[in-house]
Amino acid sequence: MQNQHKFTARTRMSDLINEDASLLSSISRFGISLGFGDKTVQEACDANNIDCSTFLSVVNFLSEGNVEINETYNNISIESVINYLKNAHTYFLDYKLPSIRTKLLDAVESTAQSSSYKLVFMKFFDEYFDEVRKHMDYEDKTVFPYVLKLLKGERRGKYKISDFEEQHSDVDSKLAELKNILVKYYPSNGINYKLNDVLFDLLWCEKDLSSHNQVEDFFFVPVIEAIEQKIAAKL
Amino acid sequence: MNDLSVKIAIAEPSVILRSGLAAALKRIQGIHVQVFEVSTIDLLSNYIRLHKPGVLILNPAYWGIIDLHKLKEECANKELKCFALLSCLTDESIVKQYDEKISIYDTVDQLKDKLDKLFETPVEETTDGTEILSLREKEILTCVVKGQTNKEIAQTLFLSTHTVITHRRNIVRKLEIHSTAGLTIYAIVNKLVEIDEIKKDM
Repeated sequence: MQNQHKFTARTRMSDLINEDASLLSSISRFGISLGFGDKTVQEACDANNIDCSTFLSVVNFLSEGNVEINETYNNISIESVINYLKNAHTYFLDYKLPSIRTKLLDAVESTAQSSSYKLVFMKFFDEYFDEVRKHMDYEDKTVFPYVLKLLKGERRGKYKISDFEEQHSDVDSKLAELKNILVKYYPSNGINYKLNDVLFDLLWCEKDLSSHNQVEDFFFVPVIEAIEQKIAAKL
Repeated sequence: MNDLSVKIAIAEPSVILRSGLAAALKRIQGIHVQVFEVSTIDLLSNYIRLHKPGVLILNPAYWGIIDLHKLKEECANKELKCFALLSCLTDESIVKQYDEKISIYDTVDQLKDKLDKLFETPVEETTDGTEILSLREKEILTCVVKGQTNKEIAQTLFLSTHTVITHRRNIVRKLEIHSTAGLTIYAIVNKLVEIDEIKKDM
């Protein structure tokens, strides 16, 4: 039974973005760059050596907004998903969070009545940043290598993907806390464009992180579990 | 206000009923729902074990009779609340093992009432509707930010540790800030402490 989804291999890449702008970041995480002219999804994927059905599964999953658990994810390329997730980690750690940090510092410095603001805000942000880094490093260094070995049929030790799921804490909730502090308690006077700008970034980043986690929880983990079970059945 | 947050799984083969119910649940005020749609029964127990939803809404008319007790045990999720989603007349003996029943003709208000009933939370002792900190809470917040433990705070303010913990819980609830670093920002911005007093912890 073929499930009906919003985007297909024949959808034009430009229409994909017009329909749902948030997919822009997914497209670049797959390694597809802009300037695709009238290329369809299939053509753009072929040109970039990306497994088209994996690409479609991820963008449809993100765009449809409702999490549906079914078996259609069996034919996806795990390597592509891992690459996608790794690229997302690089984006958050090396680009987005440092950029928010700079903007936050700037906004606080330009409005704060005292230098102490800078200190406490940066401490909060840096603690948060460390948490995210730890979380993502763990995935890059432990979870993904485990999965790649599993794909080759090697399975050693007792590690299971559900161990990862157990300790997968919500990295987006602390960002929501910072947003909350700024919205409810930041004493600013007059219009503060810089602070608004930081807030927009935080809101976007919070959403982006939470959908990133959803891809891991509802897309990646179940597929890996299914592979684990297949291997266990063979033993 | 702190909204209640619930993970809900809907196991129903019809996409129209499933997605329609998901849309209706998202319209409920005061409860933040995260909905997961399960379209094939084989994946249900796997899914519940992995993602630990608080509520399962299941259509008992499909997939034969499901032993909920066994399901909960299999998934090591004894707390799971199960709702029967009824789209046709169903024998009472099938429905009685469920915690609650939902008819496809229920209104959003009725859905809300049914969820509220299951998650009845005792009203906290000091809820007077205001989210402003009391003097005592401000004192305690100051101590927390300065890095004192509950025991030290209790000694400084001549309170029991239990009282300190209750106050701290109320502070977190009122401000919606959970981390010490976040509380520090609140305290500095509202001039409850000076930066010199906490610098050693920075």
